[in-house]
Amino acid sequence: MNCCLCNQKLQFIPSWRGIFLYEAPDVACAPCKNAFSKLTLPGCKYCGKEGEGKCQDCFYWEEHGYRELIESGKSLYRYNEAMKDWFHQYKFLKDVLLAQVFAKELREALANERAMIVPIPLNEEKLRERSFSQVDQLLLSANIPYKHLLEKCGDTLGTKTRQERMATQQLFRLNGEAVPKQLLLVDDLYTTGTTMRQAAKTLKEAGAESIRILSLIRA
Amino acid sequence: MQAIEAFLRGRIWVKQFLPFPEELVQAAIDKGDATVISGISAGGECARCLENSSDYVIPFHCATCGNTCRYCRTCIQMGRISSCTQLVLWRAPHILTKRPHAFSWHGKLTPQQENASTAISESIRKQEHHLLYAVCGAGKTEILFSPIHEALQKGLRICVAAPRTDVILELSPRFQQAFPDTVIHTLYGNSPEQTGYGELVLATTYQLYRFEEAFDLLFVDEADAFPYSLDPSLERTVKKAVKPSAPIIYISATPSKTLQKQIAVHSTIFRRYHGAPLPVPIYRSLWNYERHIRKGKLPKVLTEWIQDKLQKKQPFLLFFPSIELINQAAPLLHKIDPSIQTVHSEDPGRKGKVMQLRAGTLSGLATSTILERGITIPHLQVAVVGADHRVFDRAALIQIAGRVGRSAKDPTGEIVFFHNGITRQMDAARADILFYNREGRA
Repeated sequence: MNCCLCNQKLQFIPSWRGIFLYEAPDVACAPCKNAFSKLTLPGCKYCGKEGEGKCQDCFYWEEHGYRELIESGKSLYRYNEAMKDWFHQYKFLKDVLLAQVFAKELREALANERAMIVPIPLNEEKLRERSFSQVDQLLLSANIPYKHLLEKCGDTLGTKTRQERMATQQLFRLNGEAVPKQLLLVDDLYTTGTTMRQAAKTLKEAGAESIRILSLIRA
Repeated sequence: MQAIEAFLRGRIWVKQFLPFPEELVQAAIDKGDATVISGISAGGECARCLENSSDYVIPFHCATCGNTCRYCRTCIQMGRISSCTQLVLWRAPHILTKRPHAFSWHGKLTPQQENASTAISESIRKQEHHLLYAVCGAGKTEILFSPIHEALQKGLRICVAAPRTDVILELSPRFQQAFPDTVIHTLYGNSPEQTGYGELVLATTYQLYRFEEAFDLLFVDEADAFPYSLDPSLERTVKKAVKPSAPIIYISATPSKTLQKQIAVHSTIFRRYHGAPLPVPIYRSLWNYERHIRKGKLPKVLTEWIQDKLQKKQPFLLFFPSIELINQAAPLLHKIDPSIQTVHSEDPGRKGKVMQLRAGTLSGLATSTILERGITIPHLQVAVVGADHRVFDRAALIQIAGRVGRSAKDPTGEIVFFHNGITRQMDAARADILFYNREGRA
């Protein structure tokens, strides 16, 4: 088996943990994995972006009618060059296998989660075109149970400018499933936070009390 | 020939991305001229690149078709192919159409080139594979002109494949000039769309994925890594792109032993077209160069070498073993002369910088192995910094040495291996070059 990112032969490194517990084999080599940069410091309370207190984007949301929709949140990685390459190959070249690169990290972040895990959905048409939902696939690879509560309506944000994004009115509707009190929303990439804020708004209006968020990457 | 046939004949293309209206494609399918196949066969083989290892053909739940699909990771850079991807092939039989092709190359071959050229034509006639083993600067492209012209006249469809885009881009204008009324297609990653039926196709090896039983004759340039042990899919693809009985002509300055054994018919040229011997590498020790450079100090021997070239106003290339080391050395080189630039494989401005070096606006380039082949600059001087590093194997070192003294006006030049200990690969490269010079003189 070769590394799924650089195609070099994977070295098997034995560990004590591996002797006693089953560990899924790595799909990426250590140098490739080290090229990703983890967000470790306690950054922005809402999105995990590094820096003191609230980040600019989240500050904007809190001031503009989205106050305390989101209780707290974090992101796992910075959007550096290695991450951009991974993201491009995963989402746009549709290399589904790459979901496994972060399986262990997502599992660590979500394994003991009590709240219901709700992925951000794709719209139907986009899903058929892409052939897989990138958020669902990340959770599936990490073996984390999840449940869809939302449906995407209208266009995607991908091609919009920052202003257009932040002014978007409604992005989601409920899919008819019962909405529990405690939720954790999961998305792949947090750019301005529009997606998360919109999803949280829809769910809050439907009776959710505490909504936290987790993104794999903070741009 | 209709546009759709001209496009599809010999190709294997994703139906969704065909540049024709859907009705037209459907009509051709209904008529039986074209056929649709699944991107991944039931047995788990990619129809485009013939990958069949379960490490690279990966099952997943597909939302497009609602079933468990498989997709191929080997050729994913060309757009993903999965089980539910439809690929179109042209199936209607081809009627060979002979027509005269203009030939406007009027250069003169050396006797050695002439011999090789005749031998290749002979192999093509006999439909046998052939290996052209010719040193860097032997004038390989010119050798091919006459056999290609003969094959074109017979109505054969020909492909010249090379592993790198740079090489294809260099070959393209030379072929256009030699065959002015032949339809020549030049294909590489993101190349502009070509129209009509390509009689002569110049393509990177990767572009061959998109052909199937297309060519009556195939030239594999820079075939030294062939059979591609690191990427067996490329070897499969070369075989897939040609018709079953088509001869394949392998061209290399440093063919592997396996290739030399596999191909029965050889022609060799160990002499450059201008007749002067190949410059022989000089060894110079450069102890702990990596540590010195990392600490921000360029070793004195190297600095003096560079200053010497600057003073003589000779363009030079400095080969480094890694991009990291280039980046560390870059500010130090700038200090010596601001017109020393750096290039590497991920540098989009690579082509421009090489042209600037040729034009003299840059004094020198620090480069990774990316420039080891395909470039010709008069009066060029070359140094390999860290020739002992494992990226510089025998073939790479011979190719690098082959950059020097290519023009007839100035067939000499310096090739220095700066090293931290002499390796077998360095010795093997030097021994081969001395061997070529001995053989070439006879």
